[in-house]
Amino acid sequence: MFESIEQTIARLREQQYICDRKLATVVFLALQMRKPILIEGPAGVGKTELAKVVSAALGRALIRLQCYGGLDEAHALYEWEYGKQLLYTQILRDKIGQLFDGVDGLHEAVARLNLHEDVFFSERFLVRRPILQAIDSPDPVVLLIDELDRAEEQFEAFLLEVLSDFQVTVPELGTVTAKTVPFVIITSNNTRDLSDALKRRCLHLFIDYPDERRELEIVRLKVPALRETLAEQVIAVIRRLRALDLRKAPSISETLDWARALVLLDADALTPALLEETLHLLVKYERDTQRVSEQLTWIAEPIQGQSVPQSTTTTTPTPLPPQRPAEPDAMSLEQRRQEHTARYFTSYRGRTDGRTGGA
Amino acid sequence: MDAAINRFVFLLKRRGVRISPAESLDAMQALTRVSLCDRDTVRAILRCTLIKDVRDLSLFEELFDQFFSLPKHARSAEPATGLPPPPETSLQPSAAVAAPEAAGGRPDGDHAHEDLLDIRDYFDESQMATHFNAHQDPDDFSLAEFGQNLVLSRHRELLDQALRNALQLLKAQRVKHAHRAGELNFDEAVAALDADLIADAVTDLLDELSDTDLDENLLQKLSARVTGGIARLPELLKRHLERELALRQESLPTTERPARSRPDYRFTEQERRDMTEIVQRLCRRMRGARSYRRRIGPQGRISVPLTLRRNMKYEGIPFQPVLTRYRDEKPRLAVICDVSLSVRNTARFMLHLVYNLQTLFERVRSFAFVGDLVEISAYFDRLGIDEAIAAVFDGSLLDTEVDSNYGRALERFHNRYLAAVTPQTTVIVLGDGRGNRNPPQVWALEAIRRRAKRLLWLSPESRGSWRMGGCDMPLYEPVCHQTEVVRNLRQLGQVTESLLRRSVVRP
Repeated sequence: MFESIEQTIARLREQQYICDRKLATVVFLALQMRKPILIEGPAGVGKTELAKVVSAALGRALIRLQCYGGLDEAHALYEWEYGKQLLYTQILRDKIGQLFDGVDGLHEAVARLNLHEDVFFSERFLVRRPILQAIDSPDPVVLLIDELDRAEEQFEAFLLEVLSDFQVTVPELGTVTAKTVPFVIITSNNTRDLSDALKRRCLHLFIDYPDERRELEIVRLKVPALRETLAEQVIAVIRRLRALDLRKAPSISETLDWARALVLLDADALTPALLEETLHLLVKYERDTQRVSEQLTWIAEPIQGQSVPQSTTTTTPTPLPPQRPAEPDAMSLEQRRQEHTARYFTSYRGRTDGRTGGA
Repeated sequence: MDAAINRFVFLLKRRGVRISPAESLDAMQALTRVSLCDRDTVRAILRCTLIKDVRDLSLFEELFDQFFSLPKHARSAEPATGLPPPPETSLQPSAAVAAPEAAGGRPDGDHAHEDLLDIRDYFDESQMATHFNAHQDPDDFSLAEFGQNLVLSRHRELLDQALRNALQLLKAQRVKHAHRAGELNFDEAVAALDADLIADAVTDLLDELSDTDLDENLLQKLSARVTGGIARLPELLKRHLERELALRQESLPTTERPARSRPDYRFTEQERRDMTEIVQRLCRRMRGARSYRRRIGPQGRISVPLTLRRNMKYEGIPFQPVLTRYRDEKPRLAVICDVSLSVRNTARFMLHLVYNLQTLFERVRSFAFVGDLVEISAYFDRLGIDEAIAAVFDGSLLDTEVDSNYGRALERFHNRYLAAVTPQTTVIVLGDGRGNRNPPQVWALEAIRRRAKRLLWLSPESRGSWRMGGCDMPLYEPVCHQTEVVRNLRQLGQVTESLLRRSVVRP
């Protein structure tokens, strides 16, 4: 158990997870209030990672439930082992026969069988799936429900009982209440809106790309072999890439991949040529590659000038790329439509719709 | 403290954030768990407990900064206040001087029928978003501060009263122009009148304020500022109206009404038969979402547990395999239909389509709009086709004589009926997308799309004219999954063939 917000930050740092105060506050509160956390954010900013480090920092086991379309209770909660039940009945046939020794009359036999009825619907024949495991565990655990947005809405509804009361109802056995309250972390990539009922039961945490200083810290921590100046250049370039309107902006995991690649390539300093060669580590879509190539000189600015002097001390505002000449009609409708789709699911620039609220 | 949080939640809600009581309770409970000396901690706590949608985050940040900051004047007046200032500070005061803006920004008589409360809502927002001095100097005297002082001096009820008087004057003026709602031009005489009236109202307000025993300096400062603003107001208004007029004139040729109207809405037997047939085809084409549970049926995969169980009587030898498969649920529809004059000749056809959809599909909710949006599902369920369509057109349900306002209709739908849209719902919008220069409110359509399984837009206008004269289709089109031109049965038939074959993607 974490004692304070400061301690939370420190303990997570021990696990090589660098977080800001906002995130630490939410983790601390969730532990204190015994509420689940719902984490949203772009891919690759460490949503799943958080669950792993929290379980390590608390010394609890991590139970993970990966969601997918068509996931149902049988895979998430429990399932009866019909095969085993059947097998046991066959094997125990003699024993069951013995049960009726000296019984006269059908009534008495049924009554006697009745005494042993619950044998075959006992916990012995229950396969525990992640959620029941987490609820039933004698030691507190961390339960990670990953990418919940992939599962159907009905599955969310089914999670509600677990999340608010930490209990599960098995019709044949009754209600299983948690012996110890698990620490639940739910992640979502926001491919669809989760239901309000679920959101209401959770503390909401939105993880965005970290600021310059924190990202540099992360790179230093995770890729210590990377040269100091190179690390700064890497971050500067990544930040410029994010400022471009890309379909999939490079996230922390891509930054780290790139940094590791640069170490492997034994690079002394970033050059525009090197940047171009390794670009496919950062940019994953054809259209994005084109866009980056167009802006390559601007992206490479921090590499060429030996500048970015203030990067270690202050957070500079995100630089903006030079404006391209407007070409509104040149884009085909299909392309615009795709962009719309992409924008829903990948960007989190807040409310950009000009809405002022109210009726 | 609790009161402050409550107030904050109230303000968030007013700006359209959905917050349940459980969430505010969470927030209060969470605040007891940490020490409150740190502003950022409080921010993080309120953020994670109250805001559950990333799209609301920026709004939250803005409001938090505004709400939980000590105003400069208040600090000097009451240095002892350790907690956030009384929450009322951000509410009442600005309305007084936001009046010119409200009138200047929307001079088309739109507010005519809205009551006092609505107008005040509008003012509150314009203050909080600091839009209020859009027509004045950008670095104007901070009205919020003035207002805070008013509140701190506990003259709220007086201010309130003054405000109400001023607003009633304004309101009376608006009502006079109600008949202009459907007309296109503005004349400058009206502009001058409006400006005079607003000036009067503000003067009145100032008079009333001076009756109260307020700080003299403050009052003088305010009145100087306001007079400056008022002096320029007629000119600003005029300029605004001129601009508006120019826009109108541009769009005049294309927004003309169809010359003839059809008094007879009856359908021939042939028409009905054709429509029914096409909609039935549509119905077969459209699949609902894949259902969650498997069903036992003659086809599908072998379900081991069910097979074992059923064959227990044969000692576990699977004589009777049990097959299960996922079944598609019946599709759900929400139809939003424009029935204004400009699409009157096609609206009849559209409503016929809606009526048929409603009878053939299981769960259909239909809505009609012109200026306002009403649900017509009940009428279509109860009445015959001819009566139902006549009921829509004769104006008893909604005023069909005004200009259609897509932005308002979409916003209403978003605010009131969004619950009708689930991930299994296909939303169909029928209309030409001509919102008559009203704000198009594309965000509302985006929100609908996000919730819906699929969003289709059927427009009676040919694609070529979408870019001409005040048509918002270019804005709406990329948001929809699909847009099609449908004007008559033949086209509907063609669209039906191509439409849903490629559109419905199975999960």
